[in-house]
Amino acid sequence: MTKISQMMIDLDEASLLKQLRSELEKGEDPLDILEQCREGMKQVGSLFEEGEYYISELMMAGELFKEVSAVILPHLANTAAESSRGQVVIGTVQDDLHHIGKDIVVTILRGANYEVNDLGVDVPAHRFAETVVKTGARVVGLSCLLTVAFDRMKETVSALRELPFPVKVMIGGGPVTENICNYVGADALGRDAQAAVNICNRWLSDRESENI
Amino acid sequence: MSSKNIYDKRFTLIKKAIACELVERVPVIYMGTAFSPRFTGLSIAEFCSDPEKAVQSQLETLKKIGGFDGCQTIGRPPLASLSAIWLSRVKIPGKDLPADSLWQVEEDEILTESDYRLIIEKGWKHFFQEYLPRVIDIQEYREAVDWSANNGPRIRRLYQEHGYVVLCDTDLNATIPFESLCGGRSFQKFIIDLFRMPDLVQEAMDIIMEESLEVISRTSPASSELIGCSWIGGWRSASALLSPKIWNRFVWPYIVRYVNALVDKGYTPVLHWDQDWTRDLERLKELPPKKVVLNPDGMTDVRKFREIVGDNMALLGDVPSSIFAAGTPEDIYGYVHDLVRDVGTTGLLLCPGCDAPINTRPENMQAFADSARDYGKVS
Repeated sequence: MTKISQMMIDLDEASLLKQLRSELEKGEDPLDILEQCREGMKQVGSLFEEGEYYISELMMAGELFKEVSAVILPHLANTAAESSRGQVVIGTVQDDLHHIGKDIVVTILRGANYEVNDLGVDVPAHRFAETVVKTGARVVGLSCLLTVAFDRMKETVSALRELPFPVKVMIGGGPVTENICNYVGADALGRDAQAAVNICNRWLSDRESENI
Repeated sequence: MSSKNIYDKRFTLIKKAIACELVERVPVIYMGTAFSPRFTGLSIAEFCSDPEKAVQSQLETLKKIGGFDGCQTIGRPPLASLSAIWLSRVKIPGKDLPADSLWQVEEDEILTESDYRLIIEKGWKHFFQEYLPRVIDIQEYREAVDWSANNGPRIRRLYQEHGYVVLCDTDLNATIPFESLCGGRSFQKFIIDLFRMPDLVQEAMDIIMEESLEVISRTSPASSELIGCSWIGGWRSASALLSPKIWNRFVWPYIVRYVNALVDKGYTPVLHWDQDWTRDLERLKELPPKKVVLNPDGMTDVRKFREIVGDNMALLGDVPSSIFAAGTPEDIYGYVHDLVRDVGTTGLLLCPGCDAPINTRPENMQAFADSARDYGKVS
C-alpha cells in the first residue's frame, strides 16, 4: 500500500493533500497518483463491506476524492474520461425531491471511476430515457425516499425497457426493498452506496456477457 | 359501554403496555398522518392549511377503519415543527407543490459553518429566533405554535369523547442537536464537519442541549391524566449511517440526557427511530427500565431488541411503510402475526412503523387494524 492510498484509507485529509502536492511537485505521474487514491477508495469500500467503516466514512472518503481530483485533474488534460470504467445515469424519480441518498451514491461511484450523469431530483421518466440515448450509458440508478414514488420508479423502468437496446436499472432509497424492486421491475436493489458500486462493477465488467 | 368507559379502558391498556405490564390484549395505535386526508377525500393542501379539518379527517379515518385504541398524534401535519426540528424549509402542497401531493422537506444547506460559532456566542434560543425566518415564514410559524397552545387540550378532549387515546399529548416533542444541525447543514456537509471540526460542532451541540434541558426542567410534571409520550426523533443519526466513534460521541450521550430529563418529569420518551439502529440496541439497557418506548420503522431488528432489553422497554411499531403502500392485506397479516409471535404481547403496541404513507392502500390499513386485533389477543 502506498502512502497516498493509506492516507486515503485513514481519511487523513491534511496529510493526504500535503503528500499529493509534494508528489506532483516532484513530477510524479498524476495518473499514477490518482490510481493510488482510487486504490485507497477501493479499500475504504472493502472496510465498509466488512463493517469497519460506515456511511459516514464513505462520505468523508468521497469528499477527499473530490478534493484530490480537483488538484490532479488539471494535470491530466483529457485522459480521465477515457479511463472511466463506464457511464451511469442517476437521479431521484419524479415527484420526489430528496437527494441525500442519491448524492452519496454519486460521490462513491465517481470515486470508483464511473462517469456519472446526475440528473438531480424530481426527474421524469422521459429524461432518464433521453439521457441514456444521448450519453450511451447502459446503467441507470433510480432513487426515492417517498413511497408515492414507487409508481414513478415503475414508469421510469418501463420507459427504459422501451428503448431499442438493453439498459440495466438499479434502485435504492429508504423504503425500497426487494419486493419493491420486483414491483417496479428493476434489475437490482442497492442497499447502500457501496452496493451500487458493486452492482456497476458486476454489470459493466461483464457487459458483453450480460449483453448490455 | 359509554365513550368515557371505552376511553378509560383503552387509556389503562396503553399505560400498562408502555410499562411492560401484562395486558389482556395488545393495544392498536394509529399513525397515518397523510393517509387520513387521502382516505377521507380531503385535499392535502386543505389538510395542511386547516388544522381543524386535519383533526376531523383523522377522527373519521379512525372510525371508518375501526379497531384502534388510540393514535400517536392528533393528526395535524407537522409542517412548522419539521422546519423547527430540522432547521429546514418544507415545501407545502397548494403553495410550493401541487395541491394533492405530499409535503417534502428540502435537504439543502441553509445552516453555514459560521453558524456553529454564532450558536456558541449567542446561545441557542437567540440563534434559533434569528435563524427561523430562513426556513419558514415567521407569521405562519407563530400561528402554528399558537394554534397548538390554544387548541391542544380541546382537541385531546375531542379524541377522548370519541374514545381514542392520543399518545403524544405533550408539546415537548423534540430531537437531539445532531438531527437539528444535520438538517440545517445538509447531511453530507454535516458529516464532513464532524471530521473536520468535531470540537466546534460539539460545542454548539452542548449549548443546544443545555438550553433544551433547561426548557424541560421548567415544564410542569406530566399529569396522570395524560399518556405523556414525547418523541425523541432519530433519522440521520441512526447507527447504520454512523461509525461507533461518531455515534458514541455525537448521538448517544445526548439521547441519554434527553431521556433522563423527560423521565425525571414523568414523561415517556418515545424513541422515534427511522433507519437501522440494531448495532447499538445494547445501549438501550442504560435507559430507565419500563419508562421508554422504542418506535422503529421496520428497519431495526426488533427481535434482537426484545432479546436484549427483555420486558424493560415497550415497542411501538413497526409495520413498514413499503408494505402499506405496495403490499397486500395478506402481507400485513403475515407481518403482524410474525411480529406478535416473535416479540411477545407484553410491552408491545402495534402501530405502523414511522408513519403509514399517503399511498397506503385502504385495504392494507384495514388489514393492519384487523390483524392487530386478531393476533394481539392474549390467551
